[in-house]
Order: sequence, then structure tokens, then C-alpha cells
Amino acid sequence: MKKLSVVVAGTGQIRDIEIQPGTTAGDVLHQLNLSDYLLSKGPNEPFFAATESIYDKVKDGEKIFASTKAEVGLTVCA
Amino acid sequence: MRVKDLGTRPAPASLLQVFERMMRGHAPAIPIERRQIPYWQEHGWKRSGNIYEGSYQTPYVAFQGWIEQQRSGYVDFYIYNPSREIRGHSHWTCFQHRGNEWYLVHMARKPKDVSSGIITIERLITEAYQS
Repeated sequence: MKKLSVVVAGTGQIRDIEIQPGTTAGDVLHQLNLSDYLLSKGPNEPFFAATESIYDKVKDGEKIFASTKAEVGLTVCA
Repeated sequence: MRVKDLGTRPAPASLLQVFERMMRGHAPAIPIERRQIPYWQEHGWKRSGNIYEGSYQTPYVAFQGWIEQQRSGYVDFYIYNPSREIRGHSHWTCFQHRGNEWYLVHMARKPKDVSSGIITIERLITEAYQS
């Protein structure tokens, strides 16, 4: 088991969770009712895919971020 | 007789301190309250009404920016004088020049809050410097 603190970027609210091996980013977001959010270890790290197991990618006690989905350009620009 | 009593002598001060500490036990832990503030505030952005001013920060570089939260809920993100690296990014066409070296960053998928938009732009800047 690992303990994590999920910081909701928009509000700064911290949600403390405990995860087991095999827990995916989607599991965490679903459990926290953050359906329109993405998880990452920070602004300079890529987002975790919803189906990605995060257990091995985070350290016990680590702080990770939940931010709403946003994309620069794409449909209009790129 | 194999053991010969040579008497006693005072223990060194350092050893006494260790024993004293053990006898006293740990002081009660002081819970430190965590600051629960939005990302924009934690990263030094200042808010005045619906306008935010600060900088997009990455391990490589920081850029001055400002953000306008419109009444409709839309949020416009501006960045000052984007570098050559950003101009070489595949999304450079999404930066619309608004005069005086200020650029509006067009979001195809708009973030629901200011903090998420800042994180998105910081991630794009990081990508531009990593590629």
C-alpha cells in the first residue's frame, strides 16, 4: 500500500488516498469523483493515462496533481 | 578469579545525553497543517478581480503572463515574448499575436479553471525545450 496526496489544482484541495498495486489513474479519479480530470506528477511530467497503473510510478507519501483536461490548439491550429 | 572489579567512573557527557534522551522519550509530534491553495496562488500568481498576473514556470525557463477570466466562464491565457523554442513547437500556430509581444494562447479544449490552464501551458513550454 502507498499513501498519496492528490492536489486538485483548481482549488488546492488535498485528498489523501491509499493505493494498492495495480491501481490505475482512472481508478483514483473515479474514486475521488474527478471524472473530467487528469493525474500527473506535476506540470513538467506527462499525464497518466486512465488505464495506466500508477503504483510503481509514485513514491509513498508523494504529492500528485489533478487538473482539468485542456489542450493548446489541435482542432483549430495544428 | 577471572573478573577484577576496578571500581566506577563517570560516563562521558555524550553518553549521558543519549541515555537522558532515551528516558525522556519523543516529544509529542506537532501536526503541520498543509496549505490548501490553488496552483496559481502557490506559484506566485496575483489576482486582481478577474485578472491574474504571474509567470509560467518550468525547469528550463519562465515567461511572464496574464490571464483573463471572462464572465462567460472562458479563460484567456496570454504569454509575453515567447522564445525561439516555443516558436518552433508544433502548436506555435495556436499563439495569436495581440501586439507588444503579447500572445494569446488558443485552447482547443478549454480548461475548467485557471490553474489547469497554467499547467497546460507550462507543459507545452517544457515540451518545446525538450524537443
